[in-house]
Amino acid sequence: MICEQLNSTTWRLSFSESEAGFIINILARLARHYLQDPDEMPPALRAYWQGSIASPQQPLTSELRESQEMLSDSRAELRSERLNLAEKWIREFEISENRDPWRVEISSEERDEFVAMLNDRRVTLALEMNISHTDMEADPSHIAEKTRRSAILEIDVLGHFILVALGPQIYRP
Amino acid sequence: MSPLPVTLSGVERSLMHGPLPCAYSLPGETPSVAGPQPHTETSPDIDVEEKLKGAFARGWSVLVWNDPVNLMDYVVYIFKTVLKMNEQDATRHMWEVHHQGKSTVARETREKAELLVHRLRGFGLNATLEPT
Repeated sequence: MICEQLNSTTWRLSFSESEAGFIINILARLARHYLQDPDEMPPALRAYWQGSIASPQQPLTSELRESQEMLSDSRAELRSERLNLAEKWIREFEISENRDPWRVEISSEERDEFVAMLNDRRVTLALEMNISHTDMEADPSHIAEKTRRSAILEIDVLGHFILVALGPQIYRP
Repeated sequence: MSPLPVTLSGVERSLMHGPLPCAYSLPGETPSVAGPQPHTETSPDIDVEEKLKGAFARGWSVLVWNDPVNLMDYVVYIFKTVLKMNEQDATRHMWEVHHQGKSTVARETREKAELLVHRLRGFGLNATLEPT
């Protein structure tokens, strides 16, 4: 994957055919996830999508309860917006004639959303599999359970895509 | 934790620490130029005044908590984008989250602090709000 800045507000992402296939697969999984009702999700994912305005130690005053409701509403709206974006990119991939490389030109805001969506996949996968700091620091080849190992590898690969997408703006001393 | 570079305007300082700088009058009333008059404890004006103070005071902290997944460079980018921090401050707060488990990244009015929590959470960071 290559990320190029075309002008102050436009970016071009270029994916090889296999990278594009991987990203489209992730977007399809995300689209299914965004469609799901948080009430039907496992507790950790439900908590992620409802959001928590205060830390668990903080008593929920009436002011904070009101803020909590607003946060939950805003999280629901966010899922709906990201579902639309995922569907849009999948559609664009399906109708594209040239997929090697597959190129998309997007605004800065769309690039931030793309990166945040890839991060949604990383965070939700980690919550679903109860992945800890220790898991993330371990060598994935030493993790015996196959699904857990695959999840950690996917989190790592998506992290690489995020860093490439942000590359031109990441500070590298 | 080192202090945040928060500066308060004169109006915000007076809202936090003193009487409101202007008086409101209803039609038919003579506006007071001497500022708010003393209230009794049951006066509804006190509620209004308290709410105004609460709305404009930077009395709310935005905290970001550590998690196992978010990448350090990604967190720095989000702090720069959402909180408009410079590279140095964003990096310092990222390390504070990493080493101390959390960092107070902003002190704002409740409305602004809520907005920041919504945006930080939109990028997958574990952000919360608390009264300062």
